[in-house]
Amino acid sequence: MELKIGISGINAVDNPGPGVGVAKSIKEDRELSAKIVGLSYDAMEPGNYMKWIIDKSYILPYPSTDHKTYLNRLYYIRENYGLDFVLPVLDAELPLYLKYQKELEKNGIKTFLPTLEQFKLRGKDKLEEVAKNIGIETPKSEVVNSYDELVKAVEKLGLPVMVKGVFYKAYRAYTVQEAVSFFNKIVAEWGYPVILQQVVSGEEMNVVAAGDGEGNSLGMIAIKKMWITELGKIWTGITIKNEELLNSAKRFIEIYGWKGAFELECIVDLNNNKIYLIEINPRFPAWSYFSTGVGVNIASNIVRKAFDLPVKEYRDYPAGKLYIRYTDDFVVGIETFQKLITLGEN
Amino acid sequence: MNRLHQLAVNDEGFIFDPLTGESFTVNRTGLFIINRLKEGKKEEEILQGLLDEFNVSKEVAERDLIDFLEKLKSYRII
Repeated sequence: MELKIGISGINAVDNPGPGVGVAKSIKEDRELSAKIVGLSYDAMEPGNYMKWIIDKSYILPYPSTDHKTYLNRLYYIRENYGLDFVLPVLDAELPLYLKYQKELEKNGIKTFLPTLEQFKLRGKDKLEEVAKNIGIETPKSEVVNSYDELVKAVEKLGLPVMVKGVFYKAYRAYTVQEAVSFFNKIVAEWGYPVILQQVVSGEEMNVVAAGDGEGNSLGMIAIKKMWITELGKIWTGITIKNEELLNSAKRFIEIYGWKGAFELECIVDLNNNKIYLIEINPRFPAWSYFSTGVGVNIASNIVRKAFDLPVKEYRDYPAGKLYIRYTDDFVVGIETFQKLITLGEN
Repeated sequence: MNRLHQLAVNDEGFIFDPLTGESFTVNRTGLFIINRLKEGKKEEEILQGLLDEFNVSKEVAERDLIDFLEKLKSYRII
């Protein structure tokens, strides 16, 4: 079976999309013998040129354009090259894929995604409820839309406080002035609302996992970031074994019947035996290849499950394995770029 | 929480805690104590072990042992 698998987020830049790591994981499952179709939004996305991972690339319209244009582009790819499965990994495109997953399936393109109801669980307003149901905690937070609300929220939560955008950016403010300045910065870049969150003590630890939609795990690992870039992106990390943390992820899959990949961002306070849920990302994180590297190929298991192929059971993984991200460079002719610009595909 | 038994310890004194992802380095004396603790030895037995292994007075060994155990407690390793 030669599957053609479309993967987005192949922008392997300083704020890397998850696509290249996911593509690498699927390529490493030789039994799938998959061809990777890069779904990119810009001719300059490095994945377009990484022929050893991405077999063929297409430029897509932005998911914010009308859905018909977007879906027609996917159907064009299916007709002309083949597209059996799409694994979207970017926040901005998830709502579209979730909404039209059945339509895609009817037209011969499978996905493996949560339902819209499940997707809503990742909202900041649901965090407290989810954390409670899976047996952990969440820092107190306030949603603010104005300067007045901001000041009131700071009074309520105390200082220091985290000032966060709904999807991106998080800053720690030590004074009201700092909170105001971060608030303005986030609003200017990402708009309203802004989330103010209580600062909790502990270490940030994350879990990448996937659920099969029937309450079972398709694989998971827990990690700690050791070194991050100025943009907060992991550059070095280490696998850890925190049973409580892993059990929380298992409960999340069981209780909500989560389907597809997700990441739990948590703060673990070992001194007080508390785990705080900070964020649920309903997709692979950019470092998801880490799990494949330690023997837990979550991405390939998702594809296996989607096509009723035997799913691999991962019971364990080694702690103390290091994840090293590095920069690399290569040179190509202008032909690929020309094709992408003129034809929208390479 | 006793995390001692989970610690991965190598011969050079590099210690990895799989629960937290933290790593530590200890000198020969620290390594000796950690290994004895992992074997389940009591404080008095470790003290005697230090006296047998290292050329040190009982006062110094006792003080170093207490200091080190306090340090481990502060990291919540024991």
